[in-house]
Amino acid sequence: MRAQVRSRSVAPIIVIAGLVIAGLMVGAVVPVGAILDLAATPAAAQTGSPAPATPAELVATYGTLAEVILGAKKTEANLVRSILAAAHARAQAELARAEKATKADDAKGAQAAVENLAADVAQLATEGDNAVAAVRKQLLEGGHHHNAAGEAKGIYDEGFVIVTRAAKQAFLDSSRALGQMARAPKAEALEAEWTKVQATYSGLMK
Amino acid sequence: MRGVRPVNPQVATALLTGLSWVACATQTPDTIPRPTGAPPAGAPPAGALPAGATPVGATTAGATPSGTPAPAGTSPRFRFVDVAASSGLTRILRAGRPGKDHLLDSAGAGAAFLDYDGDGRLDVYLVNGWLLRGSNVMERGRNALYHGRPDGTFEDVTDRAGAGGEGRWGAGVAVADYDADGRPDILVTDFGPNLLYRNRGDGTFENVAPRLGLEDPGWNTGAAFFDADGDGDLDLYVASYIDCSLEDVLKAQRTLDWKGLEKVAFGPFGLTGAPDHFFRSEGGKRFTDATVAAGLQDRALGYGFGVRAADFDGDGDQDLYVANDSDANYLYRNEGDGTFKEVGVWSGCALDANGRTQASMGIAVGDAFGDGLLDLFTTNFAEDYSTLYRALGGGLFEDASEESGVGRITFLPMSWGTAFADLDNDGDLDLVVANGHIYPQVDAHPGVAGTYRQRNLLIENAGPAARPPFRDATAEAGPGFQVVESSRGLAVGDYDNDGDLDILITNLDAPPTLLRNDNPGGSWLTVVCEIPGGPSPPLGTTVTVKAGGRTQRRDIASGDSYLSSHDPRPHFGLGAAGTVDEVDVRWPDGTHTIRRAVPARRFLTIVKGA
Repeated sequence: MRAQVRSRSVAPIIVIAGLVIAGLMVGAVVPVGAILDLAATPAAAQTGSPAPATPAELVATYGTLAEVILGAKKTEANLVRSILAAAHARAQAELARAEKATKADDAKGAQAAVENLAADVAQLATEGDNAVAAVRKQLLEGGHHHNAAGEAKGIYDEGFVIVTRAAKQAFLDSSRALGQMARAPKAEALEAEWTKVQATYSGLMK
Repeated sequence: MRGVRPVNPQVATALLTGLSWVACATQTPDTIPRPTGAPPAGAPPAGALPAGATPVGATTAGATPSGTPAPAGTSPRFRFVDVAASSGLTRILRAGRPGKDHLLDSAGAGAAFLDYDGDGRLDVYLVNGWLLRGSNVMERGRNALYHGRPDGTFEDVTDRAGAGGEGRWGAGVAVADYDADGRPDILVTDFGPNLLYRNRGDGTFENVAPRLGLEDPGWNTGAAFFDADGDGDLDLYVASYIDCSLEDVLKAQRTLDWKGLEKVAFGPFGLTGAPDHFFRSEGGKRFTDATVAAGLQDRALGYGFGVRAADFDGDGDQDLYVANDSDANYLYRNEGDGTFKEVGVWSGCALDANGRTQASMGIAVGDAFGDGLLDLFTTNFAEDYSTLYRALGGGLFEDASEESGVGRITFLPMSWGTAFADLDNDGDLDLVVANGHIYPQVDAHPGVAGTYRQRNLLIENAGPAARPPFRDATAEAGPGFQVVESSRGLAVGDYDNDGDLDILITNLDAPPTLLRNDNPGGSWLTVVCEIPGGPSPPLGTTVTVKAGGRTQRRDIASGDSYLSSHDPRPHFGLGAAGTVDEVDVRWPDGTHTIRRAVPARRFLTIVKGA
């Protein structure tokens, strides 16, 4: 029976999987009868009394769905890495602006750049800005915890994907330190704080 | 109102820390029931003022001094007596169902001190909720406006004033003269459309919220009027909590598992946060929603409660702080051009010292450390400390809860309304905190997480040299602080004009508490600020007083604490000082009025330009 199923075209299964997943995504319960009808039943027809088993088509659909779910989790991790990378890139640009302004004795420009830098480092700590926090809350409300085991061990804050609690604290410390030096930034102090940020960031993204 | 979540080690660490704090704390389980219908033991006869107190009504320069010694056998430092019943504040404040099946049932409502008729005596406004039984509405609680009489009692003038709340489920109150006609108006936020009661000046009010564009249906909570763009008129920020309908509330079932022991009200997790709104005033004639344009968009859809405007970074304009339940708090920095930038996380006042979000409810703002900077205090959920953010200057903060002693004192109770106030007139700001759990079901499990009804806290500021500088003085604060209710809103004001600050507290399913301050206290000065032709009170005004070698600062705000508004007259305790060296009033337009060598123990009226 398994061989027969394997020998059949996978196209109907993919179609069914798509229908099932689409149905599940809109919250509908997909009628099993309809699936069996759609899948045709040569295997069952050829066997007089098949052993009780989950229909192979459903198993295959579930397998496809599993790939989608697991793929979504990988995609989530990649997306959050991208959010972090974007914040990091902005931070680098602000650091360069701050250093340039400091050298030019442009106190106002330096302050603005260092404050932006502090904000970007804060967003590294929180895996994005307040809008991302809303998405994270939405996921938690739906029961999704990317790092459930890590949260249970205290490694991650609730809903966090990449940034560990230790890294979060390090970023927060740096963002506050940067904020405090914004009114009178010194190149060496900026560099020293950025070095800490870089070390934490590199550790997370490797 | 952070709900129950799986405990992870991070939380467990906090709990362990808290447990060690609890072991040190002096607070004992709250078991003293509040007598109903009669003043607590020790309270003076109805309508009486403390011996030697200034007769109410002398509200300007020349009021007689206070300084009455404490009655024999009582604490020489603090003594508060609940005089709500004897003074006529008897309105029962409804709060949904007894079992608190929905979070709206347990959110409570606010209170305000205001002087609506300009007679120099504080009046009281109370916001009310509804009484439910199952999914049936049994009573739509009416808000109450109480007029302060000269003998220190209050008269219910709600019907005459037409300010009863229109049958809506009320939440918060903010008092401001939005149309600058010299009379304070009353904004009531609701679960439903807001009300803006315009003060007609003849003792009556009219609701102008629909005409002015302020109704904004939803679960509105804290609100603050402030001049966001420096154009001289008062803009408005209104926080919102959860996006839900009345049907959701009426049909609510307790489905959230609490410590494996009880089913309690669900949320806020699993419920969608409702967005806050900012309304820009067009000369007090109309308000337009400018939330996005002003950069005040609630992008996290935080569960918003308390709101407070103040000049946190000392640059002369009004910034805004929003307490969010279970989300990072917001600090919106005013960029000086009518727009704001949210800087809470990196400025150090959005999260606690461990980088955690907390379930913030109420806000207190004041110079707690006597360094001229405005510090921030947020009240939080039970079994988590309320947070004292020490200002570092320039709008930056650090969590000083542990070193200040505030953390261990506040860890156990669930806290709501709060204020910095010099309650013993010694020249520094003490803290008062209203407490009460949201789940009545906790009472079935004594010892697990405290009680539903809780004692409020008086936290004394023992001065910067003390280690820690704050200590729990609740037990020695007189019978008023032994009252046990599930308290929510809190407003501070000198209702009897005797030179010390009294405390008004709302309670769930009960009348309010009015804690009259009978402390022996030190010297004092209360400053009444007025702008001819301008708003009264003049929000955003800062008063700095130098006396006895100390410099103290207060600001005038509308919308504070938890859903409440304080007395708008800045009050200063002066210790032993008999004269104030200098009173410096910085008006909202940046100009100053200075008075020197001012005798203490008086209400000093300062008029801009005079």
